[in-house]
Amino acid sequence: MLKTTVVVIGGGATGVGILRDLSMRGVDAILVERDDLGYWTSSRFHGLLHSGGRYAVKDKEAAKECIQENTILRRIGRHCVEATESLFVRAPEDSEEFEQEWVKSCGECGISAIPISMDEAFKLEPNLSRKLLSAYRCPGAAIDGFRLLWQTVASANKYGGKAMTYKEVTAIETENGTVVGVKIRDKWTGVEDKIACDFVISAAGSFAGEVAHMAGLTVNVKPSKGTLIAFNHRICNRVVHRLHKSSDADIFVPHGSITILGTTSIDSAPDDTSTETAEVKAMLEIGKITFEEIYDYRILRVFAGTRPLYSADPNAKGRSASRGFVALDHAHDGIKHFMSVCGGKFTTYRLMAEKVCNIVCEQLGVNEKCHTAEENLVDDPSPELMNRAKAVFPSYGAELASSRLGNEKLERVIKHIETDPEMKELVCECENVTLAEIDEIAAEPTSHTVSDVRRRTRLGMGTCQGTFCAYRSVGAINKENMPWAKDSVDLLKDFLETRWKGIRPVLWGNMLRDIELTRAIYDAALNLSGVEDIK
Amino acid sequence: MAINKQHAIDPDKCTACTICVTACPVTAATRKFRGPKMTGPALTRLRKLVSDDDPMLDYCSNCKTCDLVCPSGVPISTLNMIAKNEYYKTHPRKSKADDMLAHSEKMGKLITSLPLGSTFANMGMSIGKAFNVMGAMGIAQSAKMPAYASESFISKFKKIKQNPYLRKVVFFSGCYINYNQPEVGVDLVKVYQKNKIEVAIDENFVCCGSPMVAGGYIDDARVNAAKNAALLKSWVDRGYDIVTACTSCGLMLKQEYQELFDFAGMAEYAAHMYDSIEYLAKLNDAGEFDTNFVNDNTKYIYHAPCHLKVQAIGRPSMELLPLIPGIDIEEADAGCCGISGSYGFKADKHEIAMKVGSKLFNRIKNSHAELGVCECGTCRLQMENGSGVKAIHPLTVLRKAYGL
Repeated sequence: MLKTTVVVIGGGATGVGILRDLSMRGVDAILVERDDLGYWTSSRFHGLLHSGGRYAVKDKEAAKECIQENTILRRIGRHCVEATESLFVRAPEDSEEFEQEWVKSCGECGISAIPISMDEAFKLEPNLSRKLLSAYRCPGAAIDGFRLLWQTVASANKYGGKAMTYKEVTAIETENGTVVGVKIRDKWTGVEDKIACDFVISAAGSFAGEVAHMAGLTVNVKPSKGTLIAFNHRICNRVVHRLHKSSDADIFVPHGSITILGTTSIDSAPDDTSTETAEVKAMLEIGKITFEEIYDYRILRVFAGTRPLYSADPNAKGRSASRGFVALDHAHDGIKHFMSVCGGKFTTYRLMAEKVCNIVCEQLGVNEKCHTAEENLVDDPSPELMNRAKAVFPSYGAELASSRLGNEKLERVIKHIETDPEMKELVCECENVTLAEIDEIAAEPTSHTVSDVRRRTRLGMGTCQGTFCAYRSVGAINKENMPWAKDSVDLLKDFLETRWKGIRPVLWGNMLRDIELTRAIYDAALNLSGVEDIK
Repeated sequence: MAINKQHAIDPDKCTACTICVTACPVTAATRKFRGPKMTGPALTRLRKLVSDDDPMLDYCSNCKTCDLVCPSGVPISTLNMIAKNEYYKTHPRKSKADDMLAHSEKMGKLITSLPLGSTFANMGMSIGKAFNVMGAMGIAQSAKMPAYASESFISKFKKIKQNPYLRKVVFFSGCYINYNQPEVGVDLVKVYQKNKIEVAIDENFVCCGSPMVAGGYIDDARVNAAKNAALLKSWVDRGYDIVTACTSCGLMLKQEYQELFDFAGMAEYAAHMYDSIEYLAKLNDAGEFDTNFVNDNTKYIYHAPCHLKVQAIGRPSMELLPLIPGIDIEEADAGCCGISGSYGFKADKHEIAMKVGSKLFNRIKNSHAELGVCECGTCRLQMENGSGVKAIHPLTVLRKAYGL
């Protein structure tokens, strides 16, 4: 049995933010996540660090929080934030009155919105539709969900905080109306364990209702599904918003090597990550107003996640429900030291954690203040380390690897390549992932599938969507020391299936040609579909 | 930069199938080059994201074998050339020879304009070699450099008396024929006159820009392209067809301009552009090609330049030359010669170039041919350099067969 002060349920942005905050205040905490970090909502979004511009007219409080947190995260999270800036552009379809109100609101919220000429806008972003009428530069940015989560956990680790993945909470235990611990079960081994604790915070997002239910309580989360399209390359180098009342498919985010367009808003089940061709088509029609040649750009895949919108009124739905967050102290429902955190935005994850931890610490009698805005999530790599990285990684690899790995792992990977130069060979050519990186991440105790390795390295997330790196990575993973990697067929099937899920609804044009090649390799040459019969 | 959108210079068409890597002669010769897929479409995506040292860009020779084999129509080599051009705007050049080799026209003009300039230049090159001056300039010590002619083709052309014919072509001679091998241009005029074609030249044509593009000077090439494209369009408007006797010039004017630039009228004149032998093969198809040849009992071996192959016009020389009575000619079919314009002259690329060409050199030597035949000037130089067998233009073979 493990012992800690606070158990945090849920390895999304909210959960890891709380883990880091508590750890930095000196409170013992363990985070448990049923799947991998960022498996659900915290990676199934635009990858947008809001400037607040999107909320300036409708919700000034949220807008102010966004610009405040945006400024903090660009500082403390510079290894997961790409400070691209953003453009708000108005199309002929959009209201001019709204533009005026928006400019005024941005001013009131302290969001810098610099008007630029359309000539200037087209120079900055040559692919923009020539029909657009006005443009403003705002301090939006791109943020990598996976990296933010792992870096936040790495920061918490320094203060003793722990995160455990693939641990499902099966029960919340109480004594005399007060929480005393949780029961957990390992997803891979089925081994059950207990964590004794003084406090439980459920940060389970769309699953908050299910977690509360384990304690016999009701939490009204209205999951709202948002669908996103990933394009093969950077259509724009800045985040591009439509300057109008927030709506579907009106934000493009240059995210690493790709561009993400989103999103939609449909009431759904918490685990609904399904997507349909019709949604994609509808989104492209809207996206076309911003980028006229959108149909020429290759779609890599489509994905969806659910927003954990909270509503006290069980009948409120969709976009009208508040995007703000609530911290529910279940003492009011008869269980002490149990709290559910619902709603909120990725951009304000740190602030949310601060507010929640203020409440928790007060109840625990901890007086330490929040320090999370003062310290960087991870340290900058030293110039010496970067020079060594540049000497061993292939072109464009050093910087990418450094931001993916963090200093400690980066140094190990460099050493690995220095002693065995063959390890610098690329397993994933689309995203520039070396054999040494695969080896390093696969050996992490948190890795159980090739997809786990993918989330941390971007393996298989580029143009070929795993066609070439699937067999290479499965072949490269050291099977001797990794019990999870014994069955190559299962690894291949599992990995390809996750890739295929996102491609199926957008199977046309260049992607269709690509998937035919995938099929030729795995179905024809390797007979992966028929291999069961042989086994 | 103005990229022609019709040709979709973006990485989206690539399916990562890797056929280009298996066909790339440079990838086969050196592990320093990770191949066209990586340097072209794959890294094009990452270059939009991060900046880094990129030594591989220099290894692409722009032979365009990748473009030829690509089943998805990706202009891979052009993606490389664009990236190279952008790269050298912010990075120091690795080879001192880049500038000189890319702007060969400047050199040619200078040398042929001086009295005895070519004699001194050619002598200078051999003396320079002896004292390793060439090495200091970034030129491979053992590379055989093209010699300069004492009189330019344009000067020679003006002395030729032509019969007027209804069928008229304008001949874009290009730098190599104008400054290095003017006699090939004379061969063209003689052979064309024999086939009742009147040949015009235009002294306002400038270097096609092919070596500039390959050297990473696309912005310079753009200036030349603007000039040439307007002139070529005006000749076509006056009812002329356009011919080239250098396959790299031909490819540049006909296809690469359209991939790289966005000037008006390029597609229109390109429809009237021909390789000099292709043009005669077209006459042959129409039954209008003069086949009154004298016997030629020479044994030849023909090498098809990469830049001819990628034009997708077949092997016009292998259609026409076998019509000469007594001739013994076979196609080498041994891949790239390795020189790729100026690539093989560079000190750090010479060894790769010779390795790429080794299959061809052996093929030529083992054929026991007396002469090599090839449309491309620097290929011919490389064939001679690698095999010791002299190589000539197919127009030269035709002129001899006409007894002219």
